[in-house]
Amino acid sequence: MKILIADDEALSRRLLEKTLERAGYEVIAVENGKLAFEELCKPGGPRLALLDWVMPELDGPGVCRAVRVRSEQTYVYMVLLTSKGTKEETVLGLESGADDYLTKPFNAEELRARLRVGERILLLEDRLVEARENMRFRATHDTLTSLLNRGAVMDLLTRELHRSHREQKSTAIILGDVDHFKRINDTLGHLVGDEVLIEIANRLLGEVRSYDFVGRYGGEEFLVVLNSCDPAFAPTRAEEIRLAISHRPIQTAKGPLDLTMSAGLLLSSEWGVKSLEELLHQVDSALYQAKSAGRDCLRIASPTVRAEPPLAPLPQSVRLRH
Amino acid sequence: MNKEGQELTGQVWNLAELLDRIDNDQELLRDLLNIFKEDFPRTMQSLESAVAAADLKNASRLSHTLKGMLSSLGATRAAAAAAKLEVLATAGETTSLRGALDALGHEAESLVPELNAYMAEVHH
Repeated sequence: MKILIADDEALSRRLLEKTLERAGYEVIAVENGKLAFEELCKPGGPRLALLDWVMPELDGPGVCRAVRVRSEQTYVYMVLLTSKGTKEETVLGLESGADDYLTKPFNAEELRARLRVGERILLLEDRLVEARENMRFRATHDTLTSLLNRGAVMDLLTRELHRSHREQKSTAIILGDVDHFKRINDTLGHLVGDEVLIEIANRLLGEVRSYDFVGRYGGEEFLVVLNSCDPAFAPTRAEEIRLAISHRPIQTAKGPLDLTMSAGLLLSSEWGVKSLEELLHQVDSALYQAKSAGRDCLRIASPTVRAEPPLAPLPQSVRLRH
Repeated sequence: MNKEGQELTGQVWNLAELLDRIDNDQELLRDLLNIFKEDFPRTMQSLESAVAAADLKNASRLSHTLKGMLSSLGATRAAAAAAKLEVLATAGETTSLRGALDALGHEAESLVPELNAYMAEVHH
């Protein structure tokens, strides 16, 4: 574990450094408070710090205050070292944000024991952060497929639509629905249905770039958002994504299944400023049209001329405005 | 020296206590003595200049540094003398500084030969 020591006096610094190295720490030693603060701010920097009280540039309590002001970063456990020892100074040191306080000259065994306390606190913090991250993931992701859930995908889409409008780019929204999915559940059971949904989620994720996103919109409905997507290529991209489901069978416990997907596509640049609800309603209508047209096809939601559905395979030259 | 005597005056150099603190690490002890040999005279000299110039801020800072250095080394009495000097400099007792500095110098005169003798002994 990394530990920072800050002391302007070379002999005490060497003493600390060696004591801590022997205790198994990876020691970073600096000679003033300013350097100490810089080390503690580095990504992956030490999370344990022993700070001398009196130092040039920035004193120990000053380092503690500066470190505590930062909010987003991980917790740093800081111990002030000093030859001072009055009650007032102890209080002042702890009030500045230090976790512990040790008077010099310190005993190696006591120092190690106090640092173990610090490590316990840091371990506790790690566990809390991990638990919080798990909760955050669960609050924004679908349990079965691990895709973004409906709420999360809507939030991201709202933000993305604002951004693309601001930057005069286009966001492509694809709403896909697995054809005849109910039959799978009814005839092969829910477990197979779940297998299918997981595989579809993986295939959709495999089709998009790292900055696009895929969410589970409803039972067997998936929302794919292509950020900053060139409108000229959007229909081709949407078709590729849709065909990723049908181009090879999906393996399940009850054997391989040949499945298809119907999809609606909408390009935000064609719609000007519209509410998210309105756009989702439009792309849902396009999906409905694809279903009505016999499924396994793509339909495009266009505000002016309702584009006639191209025959599969989709020609490269397809344009939304004529 | 008996226990009572220690409490009254402290030792010039409490080697046993230092070795205990550093888990008997002889290599580290040599390191510390080398750093001391280099840093102590330099800091003392700066302190003398500060006292001569009645520069309270630097006198306080430098005596603090010496206090830390001496107490880390287990030089109990010299550390106490440096601490006294720091208190006086911080309190602005300009007139008492000279005497306190002399007292520290006096402690150093007993300490340094003891350290040198130890180093010579270890080298052989």
